[in-house]
Amino acid sequence: MKKFRNLLAKEIRELITKQLVLSLAMTFLLFYFIGQLAKTEVRRAAAAQKIAALDLDGSEVSRKLLQSLRPLYQVEALKDMTQEAAVDAVRRSTTNFLLVIPAGFGESVARFEAKPVETFTFMRSFSLGATRNSAVFRAVLSRLNDYMSDEYLKQRLAGVSPQSLKNPIKSRDFVLIKNRMAEGSAADIVGFVFSQSVFIPVILMMIIIYSAQMVISAIAMEKQNKTLETLLTVPIRRTSIVTAKMLGAGLVGLLSAVIYMLGFRFYISGFAGNLRASSDVAPIIRKLGLAMDAKALIILGISLFFAILCALAMATILGVLAEDFRSAQSLVMPMVFLVLIPYFISFFADFRTMSLPVKILILAIPFSHPFLATQNIMLENYQAVFFGILYMMALFVVLVVVAARIFSTDKVLTMKLRWGKKKVLL
Amino acid sequence: MENVLDVQGLHKFYGNLEALKGIDFQVGKGEIFALIGPNGAGKTTALRIVATLLTPSEGRVTFLNHDLKKHPDKFRENISYLPEEAGAYRNMKGTDYLRFMARFYRTSEEQEKEFLERAKSIAGLGERLREKVGTYSKGMVRKLLLARALMTRPALAILDEPTSGLDVINSLEVREIIKSFARQGISVLLSSHNMLEIEFLSDRVALIDRGRILDQGTSGALKDKYQAPNLELVFRSALQ
Repeated sequence: MKKFRNLLAKEIRELITKQLVLSLAMTFLLFYFIGQLAKTEVRRAAAAQKIAALDLDGSEVSRKLLQSLRPLYQVEALKDMTQEAAVDAVRRSTTNFLLVIPAGFGESVARFEAKPVETFTFMRSFSLGATRNSAVFRAVLSRLNDYMSDEYLKQRLAGVSPQSLKNPIKSRDFVLIKNRMAEGSAADIVGFVFSQSVFIPVILMMIIIYSAQMVISAIAMEKQNKTLETLLTVPIRRTSIVTAKMLGAGLVGLLSAVIYMLGFRFYISGFAGNLRASSDVAPIIRKLGLAMDAKALIILGISLFFAILCALAMATILGVLAEDFRSAQSLVMPMVFLVLIPYFISFFADFRTMSLPVKILILAIPFSHPFLATQNIMLENYQAVFFGILYMMALFVVLVVVAARIFSTDKVLTMKLRWGKKKVLL
Repeated sequence: MENVLDVQGLHKFYGNLEALKGIDFQVGKGEIFALIGPNGAGKTTALRIVATLLTPSEGRVTFLNHDLKKHPDKFRENISYLPEEAGAYRNMKGTDYLRFMARFYRTSEEQEKEFLERAKSIAGLGERLREKVGTYSKGMVRKLLLARALMTRPALAILDEPTSGLDVINSLEVREIIKSFARQGISVLLSSHNMLEIEFLSDRVALIDRGRILDQGTSGALKDKYQAPNLELVFRSALQ
């Protein structure tokens, strides 16, 4: 055990290089910085917009109309100036919107021939905030039209709610999952489930790719630095060498993925805000059994654990094929593809509706199972989850036996992925 | 002299290529035994088999009465192998590398200290051992690796081109170190292209070519047999 600890410590020390620490720190800081920047922009765009308003009409109707905007917008009334002067004044200020109500607007409304209001949007940049600015007047006009139509209806049909007239049909929405039913919007539930599970595939993908890359690189570096031969002659079991490499790379890969994901979370939350369920959706989620409880998380964790083990074992075998660090980088590619296929499928396709050959192909990829497990656990398809875990366990055993066998034979030194003639030191 | 290593009828195939065609040799306790021959003769293959890196296709290798195929672990506990193109972990300091290797062989912390002291004395790198291996010259790395190979006083040291990459002064130093360890009872199996080195170092020599041992004996006996003034000419005569 002491010998194994000695080897494991060396593997970890070899993998945590200054370059790795620097690259992780830079990635984290970059994500954090972009996320914070985006958060500020989004917050600014989402705050109550300042609208300058020039009322050239001055009627009761126009005053009330502007009043109706006040709960949602900061309305700054411009007085005693012409339209040209108002445009010029707003151009020189930091306000981006100008609403002009023309003279005679009140009278025209009374005749049901409302004069058009004029809107001016001052485009000062083309950032995310500016994109949102483009939609502000659409919302303002919708608000004004709502107010005006409500006023008309109140005048003509006293005692009748304008809302009942405009939307006479109401609905109560129910969502069913298996034999559980809850009242709520399907769109809200899909939105919540997506927000809760969007990180799982990304985390999974990062851990698998990082760990695989670590193992392949660790073996390739032993070959490139000519240290493998010496290591293979020390009194420690070959399976311990393989296990130490896999465990060391797994731990460093996990650490890298966690740091990367923390940064990524800052980045995403900058754009999307807080992804937690609102208090309205939470009870519905619980009633439908979609909340991930401790049992669900443990099962998901087991599935993820075996996927990582399979990745490490596969990477160990691929690492033997590498001649040096450079060739190791290209050997990571097959692993990346094996992870990307289920990753994209989990986002864009429905596994149930696929043809049988495609289903078999996807299930044969060990990394598909934890991707599918999230949905299967929520939908209580535990049989599919357990099948996936059993499959990954069996595959892991086979891969470890193959890896240990390669390390116990000449193949660890003679097996190479090369297109030319095999080189043997005689 | 008591034999620690006994190689009988050793064959090695790489696919269809027969690298070793049934070689026999023995190494006695405290003896320096050398394999000499041209590139591709099979020297490295023979050394790698005894070092447990390669498995023999046919034949029998026994070390201190342990069979290689059945008990490679017993070999690894008592041997030490210095490959021709070996390296050390570049991000480790010299002392950390030696400590890392010592921990596979030590039975106590005192023994680990003893190994490290011996290694420092063999390497002769002084304060440079506190620096990372990546900053060492080729010669310094070679001396570090030789120190690693000998610090545990293995029953058998397998040295493939031990002075490879070293300058004349360092080569002389290394040869003296190997000789002094052999005098302390450590058996040495080595290979080299350098016939002068072999003549200086070895007690007995085997001439190997194309996977076969052409002849073996002490340098003096071989020179007498082939009536040649040095091993280079002995080798040429043996080939004819």
